[in-house]
Amino acid sequence: MKDKKEFVVALAGNANVGKSVIFNQLTGGNQIIGNWPGKTVEKAEGFIEQEGIRIRVVDLPGIYSLSTYSEEEIVSREFIAKEKPDLVINVVDAVNLERNLFFTLQLIELETPLVIALNQYDILENKGLEINEKKLSELLGVPVVKTVAVHNKGLTELFETVKTALLEGKKKISNLRYGKEVESRISELAKLITKKTKTVYPPRFVAIKLLENDPLIKKEITDKEILEKAEKFRQELKEIHGEEAETVIISERYAIASRIAESVIRRKSTFRKSIGDWFDNIALNKIWGYVFFILVTIGIFYAVFEFGSFFSDLLSTWLESFKPIFMKMPLSPFWNKILWDGVMEGVIAGIGIVLPYIAPFYLILAFLEDSGYLARIAFLTDNLMHKLGLHGKAFMPLIEGFGCNVPAVLGTRIMERDRDRFIAAILATLVPCSARTVIILGLVAAFLGPVYALLIYILDFILILIVGRILNKFMKGTPSGLIMEMPRYRKPVMKIILKQTWIRLKEFVYFAFPIIIIANVVMEIFSIFNWIKPAADFLKPVMTNFLGLPPLAGITFIFGILRKELTLVMLSTLYHTTNFAKVLTPRQIFIFGFVTMIYIPCVATIAALKREFGWKRATAVTIGEFVGAIVLGGILNQILKLFMP
Amino acid sequence: MIRDAVTLLDIPEGEKAEVVNLAGGYGFMRRLQEMGLIPGQIVKVIRNSAMGPVEISVMGTHLAIGRGIAAKIIVKRLGKHFYER
Repeated sequence: MKDKKEFVVALAGNANVGKSVIFNQLTGGNQIIGNWPGKTVEKAEGFIEQEGIRIRVVDLPGIYSLSTYSEEEIVSREFIAKEKPDLVINVVDAVNLERNLFFTLQLIELETPLVIALNQYDILENKGLEINEKKLSELLGVPVVKTVAVHNKGLTELFETVKTALLEGKKKISNLRYGKEVESRISELAKLITKKTKTVYPPRFVAIKLLENDPLIKKEITDKEILEKAEKFRQELKEIHGEEAETVIISERYAIASRIAESVIRRKSTFRKSIGDWFDNIALNKIWGYVFFILVTIGIFYAVFEFGSFFSDLLSTWLESFKPIFMKMPLSPFWNKILWDGVMEGVIAGIGIVLPYIAPFYLILAFLEDSGYLARIAFLTDNLMHKLGLHGKAFMPLIEGFGCNVPAVLGTRIMERDRDRFIAAILATLVPCSARTVIILGLVAAFLGPVYALLIYILDFILILIVGRILNKFMKGTPSGLIMEMPRYRKPVMKIILKQTWIRLKEFVYFAFPIIIIANVVMEIFSIFNWIKPAADFLKPVMTNFLGLPPLAGITFIFGILRKELTLVMLSTLYHTTNFAKVLTPRQIFIFGFVTMIYIPCVATIAALKREFGWKRATAVTIGEFVGAIVLGGILNQILKLFMP
Repeated sequence: MIRDAVTLLDIPEGEKAEVVNLAGGYGFMRRLQEMGLIPGQIVKVIRNSAMGPVEISVMGTHLAIGRGIAAKIIVKRLGKHFYER
């Protein structure tokens, strides 16, 4: 092998066609995937190294067109148009060929070297259809490979095709043309562009985008003559067709896509109505849809709780049984304390209290994500979300918030406008993430009963509604509307679900566990040197007099800013027990759960907020939620005094 | 204006309609066009109740469209038994 060369290959295509699945399969990457549009909001990178060539693979957010509006789509457009990857793998949903080709045609206009992955081909076959991929390849002038990414089918072939295309490096100029009136104007404008200005884009592409009145391209062209001519042509097209020029071009592009699709799709057998359509009659029904949704939610809650509390008891007892062995170790009392009360108590809390709850929770979340049901929830909640100044799509990052608030905050990029994004992000930070679920289930449900835990969830959801209403009132702008493609239901693939669960668990094991243990050791050192009491006394006025909690709880709240699980873990180390009923009254357990649920998520979320919205807004949210949690916790304490001792 | 032009909101479940015009802001309307709602396109209304968005089938995919936006999609009602070509 001669010199090693690095190529850049991007994965691009409509939302929810399987780009990230292909990415993971090709690079062994860990992109979070799921069956709903808008999971990937940032580009991700991975590498393939084989036979002396190195390929940098970039997974891009889903995109319908090269004229874009929402932030995550701009990422894709900029990357394809400006960074000029050596090749783009255009992932196409075989079942929706016509729609997907609309984007393919624009990639061809951009003269990007392409390979098409005709993905989800199995679903097309199930519908009794087939695509003549040779003919499709001829018509487009681009190699086409059939794939079923979730089952790892066709990917070796895809990779070989990509490699060949990269090494040959030849460029094909397409002969796909618009109607005469449009085409003559495109070529005249393109000629003028070639003569008068230099752009990073091909002249023909610029000409088409100018006729489409694309704001981003218009900004890049400074030459007055070109802009005037484009405007003149737009007017002419409008007169000829009686529609805006962009509508004319979009219609004609669709006509080309539809002509190609029709000539390559063939029916093999008769059409069967899919189970999905039938199921939607329940899942999206105006009454049964909500009943089903509530049943699913409560079902998940109990499943996670039952599983979690069973294994939590089992594991905690088992791990505690090692205590005598540790105590017998020939160490000084100081090191003995550090080792058992610091390190081991942290390990026990991590394995015994946290893991049993988050593992089943992540598994169910991955199942929900993969099935396609999430988008149905977005559909059902659209009207409710409008009352919060958002629309149904906001529900998807919010649901993701149940796993972790960080991706939820980033995920709000699928919202089209800054105002909507910010409202959605604030609400996302109030969604009980897995860490908080651990506290609610492991403390409130385990020691007061599941009904009390449900009550905290309901209080939290009411709070989200109220905060949403308030934000909607005080932030300028009217809410925009929902436009969302409904994903097909898909039988979740076990291997992918397990991998997804593992990716999230790994994050906990590798990242959260060390923090829990270190924090625990730090706390133990504090306690050995008797520094806990002064700190607790300082927090006493707020903690005890207002919230009715023991002052020590205040210290756990401070550690909880690092990771929410720490509040419960610290509580167990401070009291040297996981049987919290012995050290807290029922009212204290409830208030502790409630306050932990709503005071700022954690450092990672604050960092995500800062990154997305700047430090001013991040600080405002942080302080606001902290103060809000204390005030509401105090009020709740006064109310609960009437019912609970 | 075409005689029997109504908005997407007026089409009952199970009926088909032809897109006539999109009467809204540049960005959103363009997005709809790119998802296939171009003038002349036939769509089928799958779900339409006051409780939630309108669900339509267009070019083989199902789209959920918020009621506010659906009100700006001008269509021609074609009825239940319309077949293309």
